[in-house]
Amino acid sequence: MADTPAPELHWPKDPKYISQSTRRIDAVAKLTGKARYSSDIQAEGWLYGMILRSKWAAARITSINCEKALKVPGIKAAVTVKDGERRIHYYGEELAAVAGTSKTACLDALRAIEVKADELPFAVREEDAMKPDAPKVWDDTDSNVSKPKVTERGEVDKAFSECSAVVEGFFVTPVQIHHPMETHGNTVSWTDEGVTAYASTQGISSVRDGLAGALKVPNSQVRVLTDYMGGGFGAKFGQGVEGTLAARLSKEAKAPVRLMLTRFDQALAVGNRPSSFQKIKLGATADGKLHAFQLESYGTAGIGAGASSAGGGGGADFPAPYLYKIANDNVRVTQTTVAVNAGSARAFRAPGNPTASFAMESILDELAVKMGVDPLELRIKNDPNKERQQEYKVGAERFGWKEKYKKPGSSPGVIKTGIGLASATWGGGGSKNTRGEVQISPDGSVEVRMGVQDLGTGTRTVLAVIAAEVFGLKPEQITVKIGDTHYPPGPGSGGSTTCASISPAIFDTCTNALQQLQTQTGIADARGENWLGACKKLGVNPLTVQGKWQEGLSSRGAGGVQFAEVAVDTETGLVTVKKMTCVHDCGLIINKLTLESQIYGGVIMGMGYALYEQRVMDRQSGVVLNPNFETYKLTGLSDMPEFDIVLLNMPERGVIGIGEPATIPTASAIANAVANAIGVRVSSLPITPDKVLQALGKVPTAKPESVS
Amino acid sequence: MKSFAYASARSVDSAQQMVGDNGQYLAGGNDLLGLLKEYLVDPKILVNIKSIPGMDKIEPSGKVWNIGALVTVAQIESDPGIKKTFPGLAQAAADVGSQQIRNVASVGGNLAQHSRCWYFRHRDVLCLKKEGDMCYARHGENKFHSLFTGNNCISPVVSNLAIAFAALDAVAVVQREGQPVRMTMAELYAKAFDNPTAHNSLNPGDLILKVEVPVTRTHSAYLQTSEKHEFDWALVSCAAAAKVADGKLSQARVALGSISPVPHQVKGANDFLEGKTLDDATASQAADLILKNAKPHGHNDYKIPMAHAMIRRTLLKLNG
Amino acid sequence: MNNSDPGKAGSFSRRSFLKSIGTTAVATAAAQTQSIAAELEKANAETTIGPGAVPVTLQVNGEALKLQLEPRVTLLDALRNYSSLTGSKEGCDRGTCGACTVMIDDTPVYSCMKLAIEAQGHAITTVEGLAKDGKLTKVQQAFMERDALMCGYCTPGFVMSVSALLKKNFRPTADEVRHACVGNICRCGTYPRIMEAALQAAGVATAMNKTEVITYG
Repeated sequence: MADTPAPELHWPKDPKYISQSTRRIDAVAKLTGKARYSSDIQAEGWLYGMILRSKWAAARITSINCEKALKVPGIKAAVTVKDGERRIHYYGEELAAVAGTSKTACLDALRAIEVKADELPFAVREEDAMKPDAPKVWDDTDSNVSKPKVTERGEVDKAFSECSAVVEGFFVTPVQIHHPMETHGNTVSWTDEGVTAYASTQGISSVRDGLAGALKVPNSQVRVLTDYMGGGFGAKFGQGVEGTLAARLSKEAKAPVRLMLTRFDQALAVGNRPSSFQKIKLGATADGKLHAFQLESYGTAGIGAGASSAGGGGGADFPAPYLYKIANDNVRVTQTTVAVNAGSARAFRAPGNPTASFAMESILDELAVKMGVDPLELRIKNDPNKERQQEYKVGAERFGWKEKYKKPGSSPGVIKTGIGLASATWGGGGSKNTRGEVQISPDGSVEVRMGVQDLGTGTRTVLAVIAAEVFGLKPEQITVKIGDTHYPPGPGSGGSTTCASISPAIFDTCTNALQQLQTQTGIADARGENWLGACKKLGVNPLTVQGKWQEGLSSRGAGGVQFAEVAVDTETGLVTVKKMTCVHDCGLIINKLTLESQIYGGVIMGMGYALYEQRVMDRQSGVVLNPNFETYKLTGLSDMPEFDIVLLNMPERGVIGIGEPATIPTASAIANAVANAIGVRVSSLPITPDKVLQALGKVPTAKPESVS
Repeated sequence: MKSFAYASARSVDSAQQMVGDNGQYLAGGNDLLGLLKEYLVDPKILVNIKSIPGMDKIEPSGKVWNIGALVTVAQIESDPGIKKTFPGLAQAAADVGSQQIRNVASVGGNLAQHSRCWYFRHRDVLCLKKEGDMCYARHGENKFHSLFTGNNCISPVVSNLAIAFAALDAVAVVQREGQPVRMTMAELYAKAFDNPTAHNSLNPGDLILKVEVPVTRTHSAYLQTSEKHEFDWALVSCAAAAKVADGKLSQARVALGSISPVPHQVKGANDFLEGKTLDDATASQAADLILKNAKPHGHNDYKIPMAHAMIRRTLLKLNG
Repeated sequence: MNNSDPGKAGSFSRRSFLKSIGTTAVATAAAQTQSIAAELEKANAETTIGPGAVPVTLQVNGEALKLQLEPRVTLLDALRNYSSLTGSKEGCDRGTCGACTVMIDDTPVYSCMKLAIEAQGHAITTVEGLAKDGKLTKVQQAFMERDALMCGYCTPGFVMSVSALLKKNFRPTADEVRHACVGNICRCGTYPRIMEAALQAAGVATAMNKTEVITYG
């Protein structure tokens, strides 16, 4: 039935719930502690699991002996990741795992495991790893540096010679760590009947497939459940080494094993945003049109580059030139990835985009200064996107750009204020494989089912809103069941595609169901006040109907513009963000309340990228120096600016996601505002007080800063 | 953390007896549990001292206030008397961690806390402070580290209260081998200046009983700068206190935190301020004196101009 | 329930697991009648106990939770892994994220940095203990209305911090809310909403942030 061509669907013209604000339907569960996250699962006879990690950045493991660990009271199982000799490529790589009746038993057991290893030389910093004589991260290569990825279009050298203004700069972005509040992990039970995993994941289907593959169990015998999970941001799609280990421990111990990573583990081994070092050159003709662009960049994605593909993780490249139009496409881009002995990168909220944006938006402001034009005007002139053109206008007006903009560094006094802006673009789009199911019971109750998971974006509520809209019910009357691979397949929650995948699918499902209900009961309009009467006529059996994603209800391509106002203390170097005005579009708004929350969230994460966050590798010991929230600093409540969030509603475009575009321009806008305030540019993120004072020339003895 | 035995003490004597040679006192536990969880200390017994009566009182008086070692940092922050009489101390307390930390953190624990150096706190780095061979920070990542030290370890003191107490010329009373011993803040940390493995001058078994704060200085102030606006360790902290009469300073004291293993105080600067009327130039000259001979290590050079600004600002706050 | 063994809590089938939340939550003793002071007295007796597991009685949400714990077990570990009170979350286990915040005698503390044994003789309130008879507190209600939660993992901690603040300061300023809640970290970025919710719960007007939908074109 779901496969028969459906009549063309349209979103309702005058919706009651769509585009309005609906409270999160799982708010009560989350606010009262009743919501059970993956880390809260207490399966019958469950055991606690923990992982032993390498304390060397590079080593050859000769043996791992778990005998003593197994003798620790309470310990029921111990497994190694791999028996026999083994090469270790980064600090924190998984060696072995234990399961026992308590955390304390596991902690004792980890210390009882005997590991014999030969330490090997390592390189944990990009600049070290790039040296020709650097220790090689991978044994089978002669360089840690990947073959450059080169793009050349137009006539770049000639174009630069035609420019009336050319600016150059060198920009650095750090390795950023996802750090969702709930760490990675699972409770896994592996018995003869199959595998059941409560996973903290943003992709129950990909975890199912991953576990099936790793454990060599048929997919049909693996069930993944995710009722509630505590954030992912791109790092939680697979079962991970930790998932496989939990399963093996479960089989060995004949008991369910809950193995959640510690915060320390989280900082080492389950993903990050690659660093970047970008040498960029941009030119414009006298009319203010961008005319030539050149970029050479390198960065690290951890072990996963410049080597055999065994490391995974992908590269450190990013879109370039970012977002703005260069005349005749006069573009030369050379990007390389440097392998270092550190944990691999993973997709991280708008992969590549904040990185690309920072250098592009920074150099654009430099160009504006050089040409003596308003940075806003320069963007308006060179941004090809129609929606953003309106966003510049609306945002500038609300923000008071014209009144606030002044020459860089001209703010008087010790505390200088400045403003800056930057833009975002993101694809998104829906996944056409998405399916849904709805069950309508004779008592009128409705259960919507989909094999999707809620990262915190409000997925459950979106499904309820759409079902309620179609049936003429209230969202709180809809029971939403998600987070189970036994339900019809939903999308992985990534790429800002969730809303654009699930909304059309559940709209189709509910529309089908309503039609069937009406046909079956002979009631012409079963919605709203007729609902109960219609359902009663179903007799004894509930009506269960499936549906799938349909064309025409969603699209791709979301934009946004963010304006930042900052105050910089030029004596202490402390940057305070005073105000963020954020104008975004994402087509048809499904739930305004949770959509706004997503934008707040993106901006606040972008503030961390701008001002606080950076993984620090120690080149002497090879360790991550800040595997905690004490020195890996996350934006806090006291760092909040005033917000003005504006959404352009464009129902005619259908549903588009927002999670990623909201975080892309924030750091760039803040960096531009800082440069506008103090008249000099801090060209590496995060913009910490030491760098501000250095940029201001107040640190006479300063040596080159350390960025990893 | 490894396992340990546990006991609650009813008196200072029994606490010292029970803690023995390889025990640790437990008050707020913020620092101790962090050390235990990273296997940086290995006590056989934890002796809960919160059960000792009488050590959790703030006792005002005309000359010297007694602040019990078990008084919480939250109490210091919110006590109306302290806010009025020692505003610098109240501010230093307000800037400690978060409310969850301040609610349990004790005055004694804040003073006795161990280094926050990220090499020291790292479970897999054997640094000089842990009796290893070298100070990794000296040749590595030292943006949070000291500008002054008398030994090869460049981990700084991070106790906010110690800095405020130092400016107020407060004295810690420490029970040592059955006797109360009085130590200035300089003395309380002196050992850490010379000895890389020391965090302070306390010997095993020593127990801070109280802090005596003289009311001599009518004005006090405290400021810190961190990378975040709150709940972040100070990059530089500064406290100043003085008697101010007719706009003139007397008995001025300035102390800085996070730039030396001890609260950084320069007698010459304190002397210089005697009888002065505070203005920007005077404050700046004092700052010059205080930061003379600062020795940065590559990533912490910025602390010199930052500290300079903070000395000036803190001093000028004394004007009212 | 044999609380010395976390493996004994709950059950694995999804249905019975969900059912168990309401019924096996905490030990049954009629706690109100027990004197907390007397327990404190007992806990502070000058005897050395451990390092092995010892009897520990915690007064959680008005009920006595009788456990066998090693002295090194933290209050958070005891709640989450030796009972079924998993509302308090483990985010960092180092007193830096606040997800584990509980109230001890109305004072918010990090339960990950507190030994369970130390918490004896005190009234412990976790997020499960706030809503009475299924009715949300003002703070919880405001969090829901203002959407002051996303993934929800930090939410119990924030709810505890805000609730504790409003117990002692009925009408806090925005600065006071900041100062009281900065020890809680939210990675989803709900801070502006949390600020609004806290002030709304206190009945203080909020006009810090603006949001608006406008039509394109």
